Amino acid sequence: MKRWTVYFAGLVVSVGLSSGCARKEAQAAAAPSVNLDPCAAALAQGPERDDRDRAIARLQQLARSLASPEGEIERLGYAYVARARVSSDPGDYTLAERAAACLERRRPGDPAALLLKGHVLHQLHRFAEAERIARDLVARRSFVLDYGLLGDAVMEQGRLDEAADAYQKMIDLKPFYQSYTRAAHLRWLKGDLDGAIDVMRLAIGAASPRDPESAAWAWTRLAAYELQADRAGAAASAAEMALRYQPDYPAALLVQGRIFLATDRPADAVAVLRNAARLNPLPEYQWTLADALRLQRLDVEATAIEAEMVARGRITDPRTLSLYLATRRMDAPKAIALAEEELRARADVFTLDAHAWALAASGRIREALPVITRAVAEGTEDARLFLHAGLINAAAGRGRDAKRWLNKAEHLRSMLLPSELEELDKSLTGTARESGELK
Amino acid sequence: MRRLLHRTLPLMAAAGFLLAGSTDALASSHMDAPLITLDDAANTTDVYAFVHDENGRKSLVTALGVYPFEEPGIGPNKFNFDDNVLYAIHVATGDDVAAGYPTYSYEFRFRTKFKNRKTILQSYLDVINDVDDAAQNLTQFYTVTKVDGRTGRRTKLGDGVVPPNNQGNATPFYNQGDNGENPAKDGVATFEELDKYTQQSIAALDNGYIAFAGQRDDGFYADIQAVFDLLKLRNPGRDSQGGFNLHLMALAIPVDELGGDRQMAGVYATTSRRRFTVLADGLAKSEVIGDWVQVARQGNPLFNEGLVAVQDKDLYSRTQPSSDKVLFSKYAEKPELAKLLNRLVLEPDIPGIETGRTDIAGIFIPDVIKVDLSTGSARLAGGGPTHPTNPDDPGFSRLSIFGDDVLVSQIQPGFGDGVIPGGWPNGRRFGDDVVDIAVTALISDLRTSPPIIRGPAGDNVNANDTAFNKVFPYESTPQNGRRHVHH
Repeated sequence: MKRWTVYFAGLVVSVGLSSGCARKEAQAAAAPSVNLDPCAAALAQGPERDDRDRAIARLQQLARSLASPEGEIERLGYAYVARARVSSDPGDYTLAERAAACLERRRPGDPAALLLKGHVLHQLHRFAEAERIARDLVARRSFVLDYGLLGDAVMEQGRLDEAADAYQKMIDLKPFYQSYTRAAHLRWLKGDLDGAIDVMRLAIGAASPRDPESAAWAWTRLAAYELQADRAGAAASAAEMALRYQPDYPAALLVQGRIFLATDRPADAVAVLRNAARLNPLPEYQWTLADALRLQRLDVEATAIEAEMVARGRITDPRTLSLYLATRRMDAPKAIALAEEELRARADVFTLDAHAWALAASGRIREALPVITRAVAEGTEDARLFLHAGLINAAAGRGRDAKRWLNKAEHLRSMLLPSELEELDKSLTGTARESGELK
Repeated sequence: MRRLLHRTLPLMAAAGFLLAGSTDALASSHMDAPLITLDDAANTTDVYAFVHDENGRKSLVTALGVYPFEEPGIGPNKFNFDDNVLYAIHVATGDDVAAGYPTYSYEFRFRTKFKNRKTILQSYLDVINDVDDAAQNLTQFYTVTKVDGRTGRRTKLGDGVVPPNNQGNATPFYNQGDNGENPAKDGVATFEELDKYTQQSIAALDNGYIAFAGQRDDGFYADIQAVFDLLKLRNPGRDSQGGFNLHLMALAIPVDELGGDRQMAGVYATTSRRRFTVLADGLAKSEVIGDWVQVARQGNPLFNEGLVAVQDKDLYSRTQPSSDKVLFSKYAEKPELAKLLNRLVLEPDIPGIETGRTDIAGIFIPDVIKVDLSTGSARLAGGGPTHPTNPDDPGFSRLSIFGDDVLVSQIQPGFGDGVIPGGWPNGRRFGDDVVDIAVTALISDLRTSPPIIRGPAGDNVNANDTAFNKVFPYESTPQNGRRHVHH
């Protein structure tokens, strides 16, 4: 029973940080196993390297021994999701999906099986399917985590008001870590930074000491919020707290690296970002590391990292790769294709931004403008979003809007990567400023 | 009494079994409803309530534990009370007992202070010599407020301080020889013998109330591990909670504050968190303050854990005892656990124990711990009957009435001449073997006169892993984070 805490609590971490997801690898990894009996796949013996592995092995053993192991299989599914969150091993999502399929085979239509399946689908960015399951569940019962799944699924599809309704239902039913973290993220998405910080602090207080990853996650998000609020000291403290809960936690290392970059400590940034990118070799991490390396004039290493990102990013995180390519003005058609592919799964603020930015990078400003305008309309306070909005508006000849967005980006400049800062500074000191349009 | 209970009985050779097939059913109150297991700080473990004299005043001693399976010395994230949780011990009196309404609620609210936030040493800066001295970086304080359920009137009873958790070398005075390398101190019988942290944290509140809040050993004992381990039971069993701590709030309530001792009281506890509006309307600032939402409830041991079906466990957590008759009496009157016992354990089946259990419903519905306030002090558990310095009180039995440990009521006939159980289900004391008592009650038949008693039966864990204190706050000294043993 103790492990319930860990498994369920881990689920929330998926909210809103989808850029670091490896779902295509998971889908690819799933392909060879489609013909396997899902129960056999879920219960196949794996490595036992650490406590999480051993907990999974114990659940497998227990499940194999019972005539009715549905509860154990359900927990096993969540255990795979939880392990994936720490290990970044996409194969764990495949195993979680197999556990869900096994459970569904044994108990067709059972709510617990559907909820697990819904969460796995969400992790795999199959948001529309996850939403269908969530809507089915909330129509059948009043279980707080069903509303969590529903909110997560619609939020990723860009329907923030519907997500707010679902998360409100969660809070009303049960205020706790899972509902707090979701509420915080939604507030942040809607531009309410102070409100997000308040709620994330509640989440930190409610995190289970037995589930250090949940606490680490909440501290990591708080660190990002504090950085955005231009409180680098508080951000650094929060990141340190996250790493005390979960040493070598990639998300916390990434934020710590960003804090070092924002406080003019590129050498320190390189050290932690190297570790972060090693642990979680995703475009978001690699791009940040590459920028830090270039600040330190370590161009050869930066180039190698970027090459790896370009080679693998389409699988691991196409949206971030699209943003990177557009920012570097590299292969604009590919950037557009990646963003549009992502849009088919989700139409949230950040995917719209990536799409608009890719269109702009290819010179399709008239198409980019309505997309970025829609993205900023949600009120999300994000420096990258504002930078892109400013530059696209400037390119569209909308000087006043460009000035407004670029000034907002400047206000949040600590959130930007060095390469983006370069872009911002150029725009602020370049043609637009000379023409009197900016600042 | 033993003769009274047993003389008509065929004694089943039931000792030694435990509830095969009930893997979830007897998971103790430590991991009860599915959703509350996501919220350790608000996750209730056990509620205690018994009559005892405190400082010369007849009192109802109550206690609520939270944080199940609290690993001693865990770091860096120490277990602490949550400032954002409303902890409440409720007491029903008079007609409210049967109706399940709280006549009085005693709310514990905590606030956490750091002396130095510019350090990674969250809790201990050095060896703590006294509670909240300069070496205790994180200190929690609390306020106890009495709420009259009939009038809504709120009365602050006073404040207290939470002692440090038992880390080891940082907190030597919890441990034997005042040495952090040694195991925690054994249970004691007098205030003067208590460790100094506990002594310094016992708060005398207004109107004769006495309070304590802080880390203690988890005094619940049962072989839950064996139940979950393919039902491979063993003899002797092992205390699955052995070596684990919890956080305890204890409150001694003078009986005259409840309207005197010629009555029954009903005790339960809840934890609540605040809801709030996720997104503020218009330009209003988003807040995190709203009304309270109950997230956990605990009354008698094992009710939600052992009798309520999975589909209704969360419903139980968010409802009041006043709803129990409507929502949950079916689980007491037709206990699935009795059916499982018949199907999986007992040979041959015991007829008549699966349905119509008005006797079980009498214990659990509404789910408040019923305490007869008219009795003398309950007998206390110490370190067992033969402990050299801190033995159980004479006549104490972990099995309560099934072990001939009885009290005499002044207000009810009980089993004759006012004889009622000395422990659970008349109140609940530290040391009551609630698993064995519950199983014995289930396979017995208390509807008849005289009752048919079968057993005792249980899990072969017959004592806590550490001795209880026989002085407030009763629960054992917290296990040493540096030196403790899990079974």
